[in-house]
Amino acid sequence: MTKLTLRNLLRNKRRTFLTVGSVSIAIFLLCLLLTMLASMQNTEASVENRVVVRSKISLTFDLPESYWERVKTLPHVVAVTALNWYQGVYIDDRPEHFFPRFTSDPETIFDVFPEYQISDAEKTTWRAERDSFIAGQALVDKFGWKIGDRIQVKGDIYPVNINIVLRGIFHVPGNPSQERQIYFHRRYLEEAMDNPGIVGTYWLLVDSPANVPAVITAAEAMFANSEMQVRAETEQAFQLSFLEMLGNVRLLFGAIGTAVIISIFFITANTMAMIARERTTEVAVLKTLGFRAHHVIGMVLGESVAVGLAGAALGSLLAFGLLRMTATKMADSYPFFGTLKLPPGAVALAISTGIVVGLLSGALPAMTAARLRIAEGIRRVA
Amino acid sequence: MRIPLKYNVRNLIERRGTMLLTIASIAFVVLVYIGVLSLSAGLDRAFGESGDPRNVIVLRDGAHSETESGFPMERHREMAALPGVEHDAQGNPLASGEVLILQILTRENGSETNVALRGVEEAAFGVRPKVRIVEGRRFEPGKGEVIVGDLLAKRFPELQMGREILFGRIHFRVVGLFDAGGGSFSSEVWGAVQDLGNAFQRQNYCSSSLLRTASEQDAKALVARIEGDQRLNLQAQVEPEYYKSQAQATGTQFVVLGTMLAIMMAFGACFAAANTMYAQVAARSAEIGTLRALGYPRRSVLGAFLLEAAFLGALAGLLGVLLSLPLNGITTGTTNFVTFSEITFGLRTSPQILLQGVLLAIATGILGGLVPAWSAARRPIATLLRE
Repeated sequence: MTKLTLRNLLRNKRRTFLTVGSVSIAIFLLCLLLTMLASMQNTEASVENRVVVRSKISLTFDLPESYWERVKTLPHVVAVTALNWYQGVYIDDRPEHFFPRFTSDPETIFDVFPEYQISDAEKTTWRAERDSFIAGQALVDKFGWKIGDRIQVKGDIYPVNINIVLRGIFHVPGNPSQERQIYFHRRYLEEAMDNPGIVGTYWLLVDSPANVPAVITAAEAMFANSEMQVRAETEQAFQLSFLEMLGNVRLLFGAIGTAVIISIFFITANTMAMIARERTTEVAVLKTLGFRAHHVIGMVLGESVAVGLAGAALGSLLAFGLLRMTATKMADSYPFFGTLKLPPGAVALAISTGIVVGLLSGALPAMTAARLRIAEGIRRVA
Repeated sequence: MRIPLKYNVRNLIERRGTMLLTIASIAFVVLVYIGVLSLSAGLDRAFGESGDPRNVIVLRDGAHSETESGFPMERHREMAALPGVEHDAQGNPLASGEVLILQILTRENGSETNVALRGVEEAAFGVRPKVRIVEGRRFEPGKGEVIVGDLLAKRFPELQMGREILFGRIHFRVVGLFDAGGGSFSSEVWGAVQDLGNAFQRQNYCSSSLLRTASEQDAKALVARIEGDQRLNLQAQVEPEYYKSQAQATGTQFVVLGTMLAIMMAFGACFAAANTMYAQVAARSAEIGTLRALGYPRRSVLGAFLLEAAFLGALAGLLGVLLSLPLNGITTGTTNFVTFSEITFGLRTSPQILLQGVLLAIATGILGGLVPAWSAARRPIATLLRE
């Protein structure tokens, strides 16, 4: 029976090829959509026991520097560091020149972000020179920077320009998207702006994930009656808040994905209907020879599932290949998406979509063939 | 000699099962294409309606948007006194020094986002004649009152008419809803600049200075004058230009993504159309042979099949258009990537977009039918008749 199904598939090679082709294009698109969605929701970089403290109003408001000593006294807090989103314009406004530029405190940043790996020598020189910065390996590769290179960034959020020298390169094993940013001294910016004493976000390392909720509550309560109230949240919640701002993007992607699936369903259903019509006589002959209804159903369904599976496999392979080839280039030109990688769930979904579409589109032709009365089928020969 | 059109139409009806399935698959491609285009058209409109070519917006040098900009209120007073700025009947300059504050608020579905709170001066309504109150009344300065854009009020429960809400350290009351012709102001909360400045401790400070001139030429002249003065440390743009850059930053990605998707889906649907047309050709070889024997030339056969494929595409296009009609007017919101604040907009399916959808479907049909039609026309009469 399996052999018969295979033979049947190869009988009209052009049609099989066209159908598999259209299924694979649809599955390919589905995989790309899922990948983009996954990369936006990617919170892999977040560490369970890190807490972010920021202004309750919104990220555009800064917190006073004086909060630093106070959050340090919270129970279970092991280390505290501060980051400001400097942004600025490097070379020009084009997206390929965009990358996150933070001010940081070189003395404490590695206590809170232990996954950032840098040599002790580079760490020391960076700490010693106020106008220096460190950059991730991926970014250094992209721009071809060398230690000792200077860059100028024009201020936009902060009305001051910066001129800083590269003194260190850090690695974040397993998370190349974290390597696409730079950190320079917060004191450099503070001095350039006449010491306003401002901090965008405080990052707290908590002794254990179990104590995170307590730290969050205590941090918010600590400043409840202050001039500037705070919002404290896990690193993951902080990252997801940006996705939330995008609004219905998930819904939009879901809707497009559904339309793609419906579209392939119609395409395969069409092919299967054509095949079934063509084979009416054959089915009748098979039945005359003593094959039962379930044999016939198996034959037709087997064929449609094979088409669906072949399309799904080809489509996900294409998506995997394309993403593999363009991952670095995409991350360089569209930093927003981070590093695009096919999520494991996507392949599973693609394969199951292939099977389900195959089953559904073959169902009606299979039933018709199974119910076919022999006499009628043979009579149709003419 | 042409094969009568009736022949094609009848053929489509004859094999309606397979035709309908092919039409449906192409129709969904059209639906996605129209959906994405109308999303971007809605965004374009939201930003397009915001700019008035007679208005000049002044920001701090280097700032991309009002969110990033900031300068002392005195500078705005200097701007308002510049020649070229229009005056109202009482002789006051039509100039509004405004502060823009982002505040985290909750949408009706529970998700959070930044909403723009705009502190404005009395003149703001004269500078933006499109803005009109649709419910309640204008806010009174000094009383902790705000008005809310109609689109925003629909999606944010905290901002409904009559509600009280804490902004910074002051409780504000929503006393009116306003309509801004669908522009991005419809996604903002407006209050007196002193009140909002007080609430967030940004007194005597503004994010932008908005100046109204008598004509588009005057606006351009004013921009040149401010840009030419290096000491000011300010930059000026006519308003439509300012919003155009925001529309591009926010909308372009949707258009690029959507067009790529639609083209690839159309490619897949092409294969389906090809399958269908191949089946047509195979089923009708005797017919084609007869037509050729009667003296119809090859190109007529080719033309007839192509026409049939195009017709198939057109039907699919129309079905796609029908399916997409409920999209028109759906309100949704995303983040303006330049100001980092919520922008609410409605999907808009214009006739031009619908036409683009139908054209895509016809192209899909023709492209899918090309090879099968060619193979039908090429085969010798004898072979055709024998089958």
